[in-house]
Amino acid sequence: MNSNNPIPILEGRHLKKTYHLGGAIVPVLLDASIEVHQGEWVTILGSSGSGKSTVLHLLGGLDRPDEGGGDVLFNGASVWSRSNRKINQYRNHEIGFVFQFYHLLPELSVLENTVLPSMIGGSGLRPSDAKDRGIHLLEQFGLEHRLAHRPRELSGGERQRVAIARALINEPSVLLADEPTGNLDEDTGNEILDVISQLHSDGLSVVLVTHNVEIASRGTKSVHLRHGQLEHPATMA
Amino acid sequence: MYQTVLTTRYLTSRVIPLIAVAAVALCVALVIVVVSVMSGFLNMLQSSGRTLMGDVIITYGISGIPHYDELISHFEKDSTVLSATPIVDGWGLLRMPYPDSEAKQSETVQVWGIEPTSFAKVTSFDEALQWKVPTENQRNWLLLDAITSNEEVLREQMSDTQWNDLVIIVNSASNSMKYETVSLWEDVQKLLDEVQWITLLEYDERLQNPDALLEQGLSLSQNGKAGIVTGLHVSEGNERQKDGTYQVILNDYWWLPRYEGTLTMLPVDSQGGVIEPESIILPFVNEFQSGVFMIDESRVFIPITIAQRLLHLDEAEIVDTDDPTIILGIDPARATSILIRSIKGIAAEELQVRIANMYDEFLASLPSDTLVFPPLRSAPGLTIHTWEEQQRRFTGPVEKERELMRTLFSIVYLVVAALILSIFWSIVFEKTRDIGILRSIGASRGSIVWIFLLYSLVIGIVGSGLGLLLGWFITKNINFIHSAMGNPPLGIAIGAFILTGFIAIYTILNSRRGLMLPIVLGSLGVIACGGVGALILFIRHIGGLVIWDASVYYFSVIPNQVDWPSSLVTVAGAVLFCLLGAVIPAAKAADTDPVKALRHE
Repeated sequence: MNSNNPIPILEGRHLKKTYHLGGAIVPVLLDASIEVHQGEWVTILGSSGSGKSTVLHLLGGLDRPDEGGGDVLFNGASVWSRSNRKINQYRNHEIGFVFQFYHLLPELSVLENTVLPSMIGGSGLRPSDAKDRGIHLLEQFGLEHRLAHRPRELSGGERQRVAIARALINEPSVLLADEPTGNLDEDTGNEILDVISQLHSDGLSVVLVTHNVEIASRGTKSVHLRHGQLEHPATMA
Repeated sequence: MYQTVLTTRYLTSRVIPLIAVAAVALCVALVIVVVSVMSGFLNMLQSSGRTLMGDVIITYGISGIPHYDELISHFEKDSTVLSATPIVDGWGLLRMPYPDSEAKQSETVQVWGIEPTSFAKVTSFDEALQWKVPTENQRNWLLLDAITSNEEVLREQMSDTQWNDLVIIVNSASNSMKYETVSLWEDVQKLLDEVQWITLLEYDERLQNPDALLEQGLSLSQNGKAGIVTGLHVSEGNERQKDGTYQVILNDYWWLPRYEGTLTMLPVDSQGGVIEPESIILPFVNEFQSGVFMIDESRVFIPITIAQRLLHLDEAEIVDTDDPTIILGIDPARATSILIRSIKGIAAEELQVRIANMYDEFLASLPSDTLVFPPLRSAPGLTIHTWEEQQRRFTGPVEKERELMRTLFSIVYLVVAALILSIFWSIVFEKTRDIGILRSIGASRGSIVWIFLLYSLVIGIVGSGLGLLLGWFITKNINFIHSAMGNPPLGIAIGAFILTGFIAIYTILNSRRGLMLPIVLGSLGVIACGGVGALILFIRHIGGLVIWDASVYYFSVIPNQVDWPSSLVTVAGAVLFCLLGAVIPAAKAADTDPVKALRHE
């Protein structure tokens, strides 16, 4: 809620992204800029195919902006000028990503999926501590009876909660959510949004992408992606 | 660390790794079995050539080498020569004891006149003899032969009742012995008094002393008379059994050492013209099995002196052509070949050079007034060959075949490699989205490649390990498998049909649920099991399958020694191909943008 901090925790500056699809050049982002301050919940609104997921991918270190097409700054430091190893660490430690299609590994149990980032990153947590933390998170999301289950045995809402738990395991600074309710019915979607709301009120910065104005209204700030640019109408609440 | 967890899960939660393991195992086993049989075949061919003819062979056509005894003594003085032995060889006709009528069958045979003692030192003749001691049944036949041959002597010594009893025993025995085992020995012994029994036994040395059978074979003689030893396939009385052993047909009735044969050879004069054929009746004293079919079906051994006499290569007087009463001197006996064996560790090529030099030395050492000189080394027709050169007729084609197999197998290796590569390609391709997920939560490219490296390493090692085991098992039991295929047990066919029935019932019951997979799998099961049963019945109907025909290949058994060096290369190659097969697509997938990988369906 504190947007007076002069340095945004996450900032996209003049982002440009062009896709090359079978010979055709498709410019998706022309000049998109966004600032996320500590404790803010920013929603990015836009129609399908407008490039809102691309913004999130660039912010999360999953996709690289065009050559000379702007940069992403985390706590004021450039992300895309980092080495590959540092970018991996950035994805692992600083960012928690939640996808529309959950993206859990089907061969791993719920608990293993949750603690996977800590196993990858060597976050300093001992395996047993990581496990305790994973169990704690899953309990928090009402999944304590599902620890040993495989993702395919879970409902969509449950899977998304596991995905959120996984995103939180390394205690990231920012949660990036890409249409987290897009694949869920309305009630389940609201439950997920409640979870995110709770995390936000606990102090987590959130960037959420949606095409749903109603969902967008739950954030503290909403930006529209139109014609490859982000428009900042007003700061809410 | 997470790679280990993930690799374990990938390996244990899907069917694909099992298929990959099976594919690797089958490929490795296939290569091991074929390469082992092929190399075993060549090894057997080469070593048998060596055991049958020593290391170096001197040959001089039909007219033979005179003074061969001195020549051999000269060779044996050399420290690298273990032993040398003379051979007189030629072709002949052997009149066999069968069939049971006046018109007997004759076989064309390659006659080797040998000196048994020195021949056994150069070759493994003593180990090749087939009959060590007569069996109970063969002893009965020998006794029967002794009784019928000594009929008159026995009749004189016996009372009428005793004689009548003996006739009854002998008649009933000779009627039934072709088909069943009888107690002739005990019955006759009970009937005769000790003197008569001893007389009877003394007729044939082999009756009292079973070891005499082997001794007669080794010395090529029987009761002081020359005898003949024939290859096991010369006689039609010997029948190969499924287990590779031999049995004599008609319950040992045509056991060759019971009989005599007539050997006829054609001597030629110094101009190459044919003189009167020479014949001799020789008792069959034993049979031998070299393992090389072409030798076993035609070669016979007789004492060298007999062969020299039959071919007119024995010692003779040289007479003045103008006045045949004047004797000019002695033409020494001749040998057509000399086989030489080296001591261990001396290569045949090395010995060949030494023998050639020693041959020249020997010629130079002969006194100048010698009437008959051995041929000069440059004389046409004189050859000093290593066993390999001598065997070229056999080994040449097989060596060519081996080259062909190597070429073919390099293609098979490529097919195996392509198979492994394609399996891994699809496994990794299927995991592209997982790779995207892992990348999005911070996994590095290297660590992702490592997952699939571990994965393929496990599949490669387990698969090729199982393949090695399977290959070893098949190779070791290949003769059993071959004979089982030749005559599959009816029980398996019945079992297969019962299983077919069960699967059919199960499939029909399941088809009511309308699901396709049980129907497809059930139908395949019915076809497979029914097919196996029908195939077995068919094989039994046509009288068995013979894939390895001893008359086509030189050996009567399939080589069953695993070629370990080649096998280990195959195993290492399979593991390597697994690694390559996985690491290339994994590297490609790890390099894909996480976003693109996540969108992968």
